[in-house]
Amino acid sequence: MTIIDKIRTVDTSGVPFAMKDRLHVPRERYFDRGFFELEKERLWSRTWQMACRLEEIPEPNDFTEYEILDQSILVVRQQDGSIKAFFNACRHRATQLERGAGRLAGGKFVCPFHGWQWNADGTNRLVYGKTGFAPECLRPDDLKLRECRAETWGGIVWINMDPNAGPLRDALHPIAGKLDEVGIEHMRVKWWKEVILNANWKMAQEAFLEGYHVMQTHPQLTMGMGESYPADTGADYLVYENGHACFQRKDMGAGGFATVDQMLGFYNLLAQGMDAQILDRDIHVLETLRNNLKPGEDVMAASARVIREYNEATGIPMPAGAELKPLYWGGDAFVFPNVFFLPYYSNVLAYRIRPYNNDPEMCRFDVWSLTTYPESHPPVRAKLLGRFDKEDADRWGLIPRQDFSNIERQQRGLHTKGYEGHRLSTEWEGGIANMHFELDRLLSRE
Amino acid sequence: MPLVAVEPGGFTIQVNKGEALAEAAWRQGYTWPTTCWGRAECMACAVVVIDGVDATIPPEPEETDAMNQRLSRYLRQPQSRLACRLKFSRDGAVVEKKGAHPPQDPTD
Ligand code: FES
Ligand code: FES
Ligand SMILES: [Fe+2]
Repeated sequence: MTIIDKIRTVDTSGVPFAMKDRLHVPRERYFDRGFFELEKERLWSRTWQMACRLEEIPEPNDFTEYEILDQSILVVRQQDGSIKAFFNACRHRATQLERGAGRLAGGKFVCPFHGWQWNADGTNRLVYGKTGFAPECLRPDDLKLRECRAETWGGIVWINMDPNAGPLRDALHPIAGKLDEVGIEHMRVKWWKEVILNANWKMAQEAFLEGYHVMQTHPQLTMGMGESYPADTGADYLVYENGHACFQRKDMGAGGFATVDQMLGFYNLLAQGMDAQILDRDIHVLETLRNNLKPGEDVMAASARVIREYNEATGIPMPAGAELKPLYWGGDAFVFPNVFFLPYYSNVLAYRIRPYNNDPEMCRFDVWSLTTYPESHPPVRAKLLGRFDKEDADRWGLIPRQDFSNIERQQRGLHTKGYEGHRLSTEWEGGIANMHFELDRLLSRE
Repeated sequence: MPLVAVEPGGFTIQVNKGEALAEAAWRQGYTWPTTCWGRAECMACAVVVIDGVDATIPPEPEETDAMNQRLSRYLRQPQSRLACRLKFSRDGAVVEKKGAHPPQDPTD
């Protein structure tokens, strides 16, 4: 039984516009208000999801706000280094306690309305004018900030609003294990930006569940091959349980690059086009191969060799055997429901896509360039550089601008008369179908 | 680690580099007046630097703006600063703050 068949044993007949097969996606799933509301109630309120990166809150009392639909959650670093998450509402009259990111100086949440205070662990510290309240309004348990489940994996804080949810690692199985093998835990933010797109959150992320679009959307990456560029981009497409998926290089040997020049030519396109996955640091290290390739040595194997040598010399941590994992070579791992990791050497390009403005046809799209720093590197608090227009060529490289532009055109195209839904490739778009099947499974939960 | 003297309490307090005076006080269990806990809103933490001004790091616009908008001009003096924003480059500053006292102080 394939994973898809297993998922299909769940009765999803109560889900509107349900997936009927892995070949088609009904268009209403991307704009219907009822479907969106069902996602809000059964998906976002009950699923483990990325709230923030750990390095957004490196020190005790650092906090950051995670917003999803109409919910706001404050994630706070505790004195002992652990993490707690709280629903962001004063227990008196609902005022949001904090906005954005910052520090609780003195370790206190203070409501800006009447000054009630809480410690960083959510216990109430002060009710101003206590004598004016009936005792039943002041029960300590009721005054505590409402806590939200929070666990960590992969340098990330994940939250789940469902107190009865299973453990995070079960939900991330098996994709987390694959990312552990390439050192995801060591990655830190190099830069972080966001963009607002006029498209459903699923529509936006589906552009990153396949490489089939590379030939037409990113022609520069085919190095002039045009339509003879392989539609599978030389990748294996894998789908997993729990909605996860990945695609990764089929073979890591000679299937890579024939010459050092060819490799560097392509890597320069990535470094300039994205400033992620391949960074200037890697280019410098790999340049040394121009006169340091051993006789008969495979170019890709040689690149792995000099990167590992560089990492060892500079104290950059890297798991044993990482270079033997296909994902290490520009793979693409999708973590259901909405996060992507695209590793390459000791770097990762990461995405998170979530609904925005309570609008089925808007999404908020985070982009991170992650890299591995030497262990001696002091922790630096990660901050959002800003929200930039999708066409801003000073802020976004060519590759993301190419991706963003098609996403909004797809969303517009959905509404045209005569369009019923997507037709998917069985070979290269299975990750999209897999995500929708998992979504239907969750939407049909009681 | 800069040492700062506080009058009229007559005590000194150690402040980490990059840390604000009020934060150092709260971290070490001192009492330091506040109602906003470091959000540059309440002005209850305000001090006057009475000596060693050159050991202090000049205010950022956020601090100056906050004092312009919220610190009563009857209370404000040329050397007024917000303790929740005031940082130091070295020893030698003396600030005046009523109501600030060390942890073991029986009036706490
Ligand atoms: S609403 Fe928060 S103290 Fe009144
Ligand atoms: S603590 Fe409130 S303004 Fe400084
Ligand atoms: Fe793309």
